[in-house]
Amino acid sequence: MKTWYHSWRAALRIARRDAWRSKGRSLLVLSMIALPILGVSAFDLTLRSSELSAQEQLDRTLGRADAQITDPRFGGVALHQSPEADNYSPVGDFENEPWPDGPGDISKAVPAGATVLEDTVGMGKLRTAHGLLQTEIRELKAADPIADGIMWLTEGRFPERADEVAATSHFLEVSGLRVGSRLTARGLGTEYRIVGAYELPDSLETDQVNALPGALLAPLDKALRADGLPGTNPSTTQLVSVPGGFTWNMVKEANTHGMLVTSRAVALDPPADADVPLYQQNDQGRYEQSAVADATELAAAGTVVGLAMLEICLLAGPAFAVGARRSRRQLGLVGANGGDRRHIRAIVLGGGLVIGLASAVIGTALGLGLTYALRPVLEDYMGQRFGGFDIRPLELLGIALLAVLTGLLAAIVPAVTASRQTVLASLTGRRGVRRSSRVLPVLGLIAVALGAVIALYGSMMTDQFTIVAGGSAIAELGVVALTPALVGLFGRLGRRLPLSPRLALRDAVRNRGRTAPAVAAVLAAVAGTVAVSTYATSSDAQDRAAYQPRLPHGAISVMVDEDGGRDVPAIRTAVQKNLPVDLRADVDRISVGKPSCSMYAGDEGCGRYEVVVPKAHQCPLWSTGPEDPSEKFSKAERRKLAKDWRCAQDSVYSDVAGGVLIGDATLLKILGIKDTGAEKALADGQIVSFDKRNVDAAGKIGILLITDIEKADAAIQKGLPSPGTVKSFRAHQAPDDENAYGIAMVMTPATAKAAGISTLPLGAYYSTGALPTSAQKQKLDGELAKTGSQVNLHIEAGFTSNHNIVLLALTVFAGLVTIGAAGIATGLAQADAEADLKTLAAVGAPARVRRTLSGFQCGVVAAMGVLLGSAAGVLPAIGLRLTERRAQLTFHQRALDEGWGALTTPYVPVVIPWGTLAALLVAVPLGAAILAALVTRSHRTLGRRAAT
Amino acid sequence: MPENAQPSQQPVLRLQELTRVHGSGATEVHALRGIDLDVFPGELVAVMGPSGSGKSTLLTIAGGLDTPSSGRVIVEGTDITTVGRKQLAALRRRSIGYVFQDYNLIPALTAAENIALPRELDGTSARKARTEAVAALAEMGLEQLADRFPDEMSGGQQQRVAIARALVGDRRLVLADEPTGALDSETGESVLALLRTRCDAGAAGVLVTHEPRFAAWADRVVFLRDGTVVDQTIRSQADSLLTGQAAER
Repeated sequence: MKTWYHSWRAALRIARRDAWRSKGRSLLVLSMIALPILGVSAFDLTLRSSELSAQEQLDRTLGRADAQITDPRFGGVALHQSPEADNYSPVGDFENEPWPDGPGDISKAVPAGATVLEDTVGMGKLRTAHGLLQTEIRELKAADPIADGIMWLTEGRFPERADEVAATSHFLEVSGLRVGSRLTARGLGTEYRIVGAYELPDSLETDQVNALPGALLAPLDKALRADGLPGTNPSTTQLVSVPGGFTWNMVKEANTHGMLVTSRAVALDPPADADVPLYQQNDQGRYEQSAVADATELAAAGTVVGLAMLEICLLAGPAFAVGARRSRRQLGLVGANGGDRRHIRAIVLGGGLVIGLASAVIGTALGLGLTYALRPVLEDYMGQRFGGFDIRPLELLGIALLAVLTGLLAAIVPAVTASRQTVLASLTGRRGVRRSSRVLPVLGLIAVALGAVIALYGSMMTDQFTIVAGGSAIAELGVVALTPALVGLFGRLGRRLPLSPRLALRDAVRNRGRTAPAVAAVLAAVAGTVAVSTYATSSDAQDRAAYQPRLPHGAISVMVDEDGGRDVPAIRTAVQKNLPVDLRADVDRISVGKPSCSMYAGDEGCGRYEVVVPKAHQCPLWSTGPEDPSEKFSKAERRKLAKDWRCAQDSVYSDVAGGVLIGDATLLKILGIKDTGAEKALADGQIVSFDKRNVDAAGKIGILLITDIEKADAAIQKGLPSPGTVKSFRAHQAPDDENAYGIAMVMTPATAKAAGISTLPLGAYYSTGALPTSAQKQKLDGELAKTGSQVNLHIEAGFTSNHNIVLLALTVFAGLVTIGAAGIATGLAQADAEADLKTLAAVGAPARVRRTLSGFQCGVVAAMGVLLGSAAGVLPAIGLRLTERRAQLTFHQRALDEGWGALTTPYVPVVIPWGTLAALLVAVPLGAAILAALVTRSHRTLGRRAAT
Repeated sequence: MPENAQPSQQPVLRLQELTRVHGSGATEVHALRGIDLDVFPGELVAVMGPSGSGKSTLLTIAGGLDTPSSGRVIVEGTDITTVGRKQLAALRRRSIGYVFQDYNLIPALTAAENIALPRELDGTSARKARTEAVAALAEMGLEQLADRFPDEMSGGQQQRVAIARALVGDRRLVLADEPTGALDSETGESVLALLRTRCDAGAAGVLVTHEPRFAAWADRVVFLRDGTVVDQTIRSQADSLLTGQAAER
């Protein structure tokens, strides 16, 4: 029986054995294809394993309970919820008023005959081996069968007595405690014993301590409140077991009592949308990702995969061409024995298939193995335990097929080229003139033109970033297709060069078939790098120009807004002790209401203060009351007002709410205030003001103390003055050119006290002689962590770029690709150049010519690729920046028209990354040339005839 | 297959009025000028001549690796100057075998696989092709070489395997271009003895050589100079006796 696949078998056998015989080249191509496949398959496995099934997710939330009832704090007002309980809203018209607030009665929502387990979570500071740690305290009877699956016990047991606790492994690690240690909470005398360690499978990095209900949160809350501090802020949910499951009707019943329910039965078998009242409500439709967004994501992913495959093909293609060229005689022999073109193609393509298959198997196998072996590390990194080791054979097969496809695609051009050689030419090693394709440059030109038009349209007619990027990508592909033609242009430069570079350049240009893919590979990598570098350098320059220091250079501020500032003195000292500070200025803040109130919270019994801005100093654009400024003012008026001094906006936010700091003359020194009158004014009991809008005609400043926030908010909504007590002070206005970094005014503690204003410690400012070192900062961070407080530390070190590492990595990547591609092309050229070298040696060229020639061959390819790539990369980046500039200018004009306030004119520079370009244009080709020269043997033993 | 050369039979290879011109204008070279040659089954024809006389060109055109400028090349009744590329390749698989000076074997394939290659390329199953190949080797007493790769064989062994490949299946025409050029004289003799035996068994052979010693194995010697046949001699009785003894050795 004679069939086509028998001849394919013979071709594959030759390809397989050849791949094995030239192990170095095969390994190079194999790793080029297998590495990305390894990465992608490992990513797929990790992603799939970390995606939990609905059942697994429910087990981690509910344990063995049928449902969890949560109070969303709507004060018991009925609500509508989605079946998954991820979306809900109160029933009724709340369009123009705030949603109801306050606790409801959770017990009303529990169906009759249900078994209930309480789960309460609060916060508290616990004493650790190093200091204090703000920790989640969870009171849940974890040993109860209903809770089984929520907490995974890793050591010991769950608490059984009121003086026992268990803790998450992460807490134990961070706190330096272990099972058996004693644990106390700050503010509570009781001692607890840690009897077990557990983990929350969905959040491995949570610091949590588990106690029996009522054992820790309630006594701690009571003790803290007795000290005038905020309590533990507990919230309770109910885990419920009902015979027959918690049905959708039971969920809806619980909703009428204002409770939210996560039900296992409902989540696993959701009701029809028509049965979900939430979806029937106005504008509360089911949230779904739009088809357009899906398509965009798919297109983006497809482009990335496609470009990556193109890059690999461009790199691997020449390697197959080297193989085909080296085994030219062997292919000739196949021809002499009756192999026709398709057999020759099959042998070279077979090489791609063999390597592709090997890469697929090795890549996915390593991906599987590595993911399996590194599973605990991956789980810790993602902070979540996998549901299971989820292998999706079809997806892995798809990924593996990509490898096979890449191998085949990379071998196509070399296969076709090899099959076009006549048998006689192959056998005798005669070199014919290889013509490059005429279709490719035309296609390339069309793609460049089309891409340029799209990108131009994007940047001139729209502000759409994606259109510009898409157009640039198409144009870039066109440039890759144009490479052979562009390489031809370089040939004219050769005339004046010395022998070796001239030979190298002529050889590269005459044999475009092998030069072009390598140049294109370099081009693609360099273009990407240069585009990103140009964009990043430009936006760095923009950020640097827009950077607003929050303090004078080298100054430090530390602020704590917690627990009425009781940890502030310790923190002030810690900073002074650990950092090289010269001056220290302690600052306080104004407090209205209970001392435990934070600066921003509007809890019960908490108030706030406002600086009274005299009517004449108010910005007309913002003080229109309920009226819309666009109706009150004409466009011209709005533009004029936007530049008015009353409407100026501070670009730096102050560390203190309201902008009033309580401090002394040292603070002025640290802020770098040169006004000598200011110090005197402070001592004189005046307020030093840095914003002249706040000072009235009589030279006074009013501070309004508001005790009832709700009333004040209601008044503001109606455009009325807020009710409260106004304290009036004499003010000293600092000159306009003084920069106070967002602080509106400063008064001394004595002045505040004399006016009957109560204050709380807030933090401190420091000046330094030298910026702290990393070691000093780390030491301080350690000290601050011991206090368990939320500390805002700012060290003003000026503008720092986030892009440097990325740019360096990209440059190194492009450099490696360039050297790799140029190296492959050089190997190919060397295989061809043997006859020339013999001739050169025969006419008396020194032995080093072989080295210098291969060096120049490598350098020429690298230089051409880098040059073309740099040009192809800079242009789209400039296009993108110009688009951004247009978009920002448009926004700026609109902001002026609408009277949104005085914004500075946007500065969107285009900066060429000369450093990166220099490295790529000079250093990389030079490095590639030297490397190639070094690894080339200067002598080669003479053979009678080109070996197979 | 006939035991000996019979001039009354159809020739396996027939060259008629064969010319080949390389290049044109100033670089024009007349490699062959009107060659006529018939090679019959069981006949071994030696082609001799100085360098550039057109020996190798004659052989490449006879095997369809090159095309003549004019004239006809008829292999087993088919004019190969008129068939397409694919048919030509098929002819090389089924009718024509080549033996070059050296590096005849594909290094990635064993001896048996090298011999089986034309058959496998022709679509024969690997198993059947291998059976034929091993049989061909056994016929020459070389079965111990079946699973060796070329780099595990001596030059003489490689050339013998190449001859086996040239005549595998239904192939009856072997074109040998200096097959002993890379061998020492003793090994060269034994390789030619093998070629002679294959021709005695019914194959037709064309041997290009410049050593009269090796030409003595042929039934006929054709002398070429500047692309034309200048002389033809028939093998003498004494030569024939010598060949017979050598083959038996």
